[in-house]
Amino acid sequence: MITFGILSQIAALFFTLLSMGLLLAGLGRNNVRLVQAGKRGLLSAMIATTLASIALAYLFLTDNFQVEYVASYSDRALPIFYKATAFWAGQKGSLLFWAWVLSLFIGLVIFNNRKEPDDRNTPYVYLVMAGTLSFFLFLLCAISNPFDTLNFMPRDGQGLNPMLQNPGMIFHPPTLFLGYIGFTVPFAYAIAAMITGSTDAGWIRKTRVWNVLSWIFLSIGIILGGQWAYVELGWGGYWAWDPVENASFIPWLVSTAFIHTTIIQERRGIMKVWNMVLVQLTFILCIFGTYLVRSGILQSVHDFGATGLGGYFLFFLVVVTTGGIYLLAESYSEFKTPGSVESYLSRESTFLFNNVILLALAFATLLGTVFPILSEAVTGNKITVGQPFFNQVNTPLFLMLLLLTGIGPLIGWRKASTSNLRRNFLFPAIVALMAGIIMVVFGVRQSYALLAFTLAAFVGGTIIQEYITAIRSRKKLTGESSPGAAVKLLWKMRRRYGGHIVHFGLAMMVVGIAASSAYKLEKQATLKQGENMTIGDFTLEYENFRQYEKYNRTVYAATLGVFREGNRIDEMEAERRYYVNAKQPTTEVAIRSTLAQDLYVTMPGIGQGNEITLKVAVNPLLIWIWFGSGLMVVGGILAIIPSRRRES
Amino acid sequence: MKKSNKKVLIAVLVMVASVGFLIYRGLTETSVYYMTVGELKTSALGQKVGPTQAVRVGGLVVDGSISYNQRDLELRFSLKDENKPQEIIDAVYNGAKPDAFEPEIEALLEGTYDRTKNLFQAETLLVKCPSKYESETVQDNKQEVGK
Repeated sequence: MITFGILSQIAALFFTLLSMGLLLAGLGRNNVRLVQAGKRGLLSAMIATTLASIALAYLFLTDNFQVEYVASYSDRALPIFYKATAFWAGQKGSLLFWAWVLSLFIGLVIFNNRKEPDDRNTPYVYLVMAGTLSFFLFLLCAISNPFDTLNFMPRDGQGLNPMLQNPGMIFHPPTLFLGYIGFTVPFAYAIAAMITGSTDAGWIRKTRVWNVLSWIFLSIGIILGGQWAYVELGWGGYWAWDPVENASFIPWLVSTAFIHTTIIQERRGIMKVWNMVLVQLTFILCIFGTYLVRSGILQSVHDFGATGLGGYFLFFLVVVTTGGIYLLAESYSEFKTPGSVESYLSRESTFLFNNVILLALAFATLLGTVFPILSEAVTGNKITVGQPFFNQVNTPLFLMLLLLTGIGPLIGWRKASTSNLRRNFLFPAIVALMAGIIMVVFGVRQSYALLAFTLAAFVGGTIIQEYITAIRSRKKLTGESSPGAAVKLLWKMRRRYGGHIVHFGLAMMVVGIAASSAYKLEKQATLKQGENMTIGDFTLEYENFRQYEKYNRTVYAATLGVFREGNRIDEMEAERRYYVNAKQPTTEVAIRSTLAQDLYVTMPGIGQGNEITLKVAVNPLLIWIWFGSGLMVVGGILAIIPSRRRES
Repeated sequence: MKKSNKKVLIAVLVMVASVGFLIYRGLTETSVYYMTVGELKTSALGQKVGPTQAVRVGGLVVDGSISYNQRDLELRFSLKDENKPQEIIDAVYNGAKPDAFEPEIEALLEGTYDRTKNLFQAETLLVKCPSKYESETVQDNKQEVGK
C-alpha cells in the first residue's frame, strides 16, 4: 500500500505535467483534440490523487506505523473517526489533501463545461489550475512525502494531539482548505480572460458560484477555528489575532471585497481591472496564508513549525505575483473602462468605499501579522504588536463597514435621490436611534460597544424594512397570504435575500462580539470541596469530585452547582484529562450557553485533597456570534442555489 | 475628470488617509519590543526599557526554579536566555499555571521588567507547546519503544 501511494502520487504528477504539455501544444497549434487529450490527462491525475489519498487513509485505518506520518499522528488507541481524520492533522497529509481537492475541483470544472464547446479561454483555465496542482504534487513527491517510511516498525504510534481530538478541529482544516483551494477556479478564469483579452464579465458569471462557495467554506473554516479555540483551548476567547488566524482572515476580507465588486461589474460593466486585482490578491493571499502557516517564520501558538517548505511556497508566490502583474500591465488598456462611479451617493460608491475599508482591514491585519519580521529587517530589533493593535485599528474600521453594510444594499444605482434616501433610511435610522437610547438606559457606556449595537440595529432595520415593503407589494400583486409571500419572495429573489441574510448574520455577530468583548467578566479562584465563588449573578459551588477511565484517557471531573439568586439552576462539570501518549494533562472546558450569556469554566489545576483551581468567565451574548455566523453561511448558500430558468 | 468622479476620489483619499493615521497611531501606541532574556538584560536597547514599559521577553524556564502557589494563583520561576544560559531573570505571573508549563520549556512573557530587583511581572504567559502540531521526531519514540 505504501508503494501504491507513492506510485499514485508520481502518476498524478506525471499526468498533470503531461496535460500541461498537451494543453500548451493544443493552444499553440489551435488543435482541439490536443486540448481534449489534456483534459483527459487532468481527469487521470484526479483519479491518481484519489488513489493516493485512499492509500494514506488505508494506512491510517490499518495502523501501519512503519509510515512515519501515520506513526506521528495516530496510535492504536485512537478512536476510528479520529484515525480517519488524522489524515490532515499534519503538514504532509494536508498537502496531499490539498492536491486531492484541487484535482477534484478541476474535474468538477471539466464536468460543468462538458456541454459547452471549449472557447478560447478554457484551455488557459485548465492550464493555470494544472500548474497549481503540479506545484503541490511536486512538493508531495519530492519534498514532503506522506508515504515516507521509518527504517524500523514502531510498536505503536505517537497519537494525535489531544487538542486536535475535537470535532471542530477535525472539520476546521478541510473547510478552510476547500475555501483556499476553491479560489483557484476564479483565479484561473481571470488569468485566462487576461491572456485572451476577454473583457466581458463572462469569467465573473461563470465563477460566481465558485467564488461564493469558496467564501462560504472560508467563513465556515474561520468560524470553526474560533469555536474550536473557544471550546477547546480554554483561554475563554474565540479569536486572538494569532498569525495563523490572521492568515485565513486576510483572504476572507479580500474575497468579500471581490464578491461585492463583481456585482458592480455585472450590473454596470465597470471596475474590470479592479476585479482582476482582487481575484489575484485573494488567490495570492490564500497561498501566502499557507506559507505563513508552513514556513515557521512567525511565532504562533499553532503553526506547523519550520518545515523547510517555506522557500518553495515563496517561490510559487513570486511566480504567481509577477505573472499576475505582468498580465495586468499587458491587458490594462483593454480592460480599462470609460464608465465610472457617477455620484458618491450611489450604490457603486458605497461598494467602492466598502472595498477601501475591507482592504484597509486586510492591510492592517497583514501589517500587524508580519510586523516583527519587517521591524527586524528594517531596524534590527523585533517589535511586535499584539491584540491591542488589532483591536484599536480594526474596531473603528469594522464599525464603518457596518454602516456601509446598512447603506449599500438600499441606495440606488448611479445616483440616489434625496427622496430615495428618505424613503429607505428614515425607519432604520429611527430603529438605530431607539436601540442606542435603550442601550444607554440599560447602562451601556462604552462608546464602541454602543456604536456597534446602534449600527447593528440600523443594518437589521434596513433589511427588515426592505423585506416587509417587498412582501406588501408582492401581496398586492399576487394576492398571496403574508407568510406565503414572505417565503416565495425569499426563494424567487434568493440572490438578493441571500445577501441580506448574510448582512443580518453579520449584524448579529457584531452584537455578540461587541457585548462579549466589552462586558466580559473573568475570575480565578482555588476552592476546597464545599466552597464557592461568585461571578456576576452566578455563584459556583464545588460539590463533588470523581475520577474515571474512558477510551484513551483518564478523566478527573469536578461537579459544580450553579446558583443564581440563591436557587440551584444548573450543574456543570469541569474536567482535566490525561491522555495516553500525551505528557501533559488537557483542560476540558465546561460551557453553559444561553441567549443572554455563556458561563465558561475551566479547571487549570487540581491540588492536594482535590483542591481545584477554577477559571470562570461570563461572556454576554456570545452565542449570537455562532447564530450570526450560521446565518451568514445560510444566506451565502441561498444566494448560489441555481435557478432552473437559467439552465433551460 | 468629471466633477462627480473627483468627489468620489476625494472621499476615497480621505478614507485612505484616515486609515493610514489609524494604523500609525495603533503602531506607535501598542507596539512592544520583543527580546530574549540576554537582550533585555545587557543590550543597549534592553537597558533603555523602563520599569513601566511593556515588553515581551522569550526564554527557557530554569529547571528547579518553579514555585506555584495554587491557593493564591501565583506562579514564580526563572527564565534563562536560550543561547546565553547565564543570563537569568526572575518572573512572577498571577494566574493559573498552564498545562504545558514545565522546566526547560520555551516561554513567552509580556509585562514589565524591574531592573533593580531583576524581576519580571508577567501580565501574559504563553508557553510554546514543545510539539506544536507536529509531533516530536519519531526518533524519540524509538527509544521509548525500545525500553
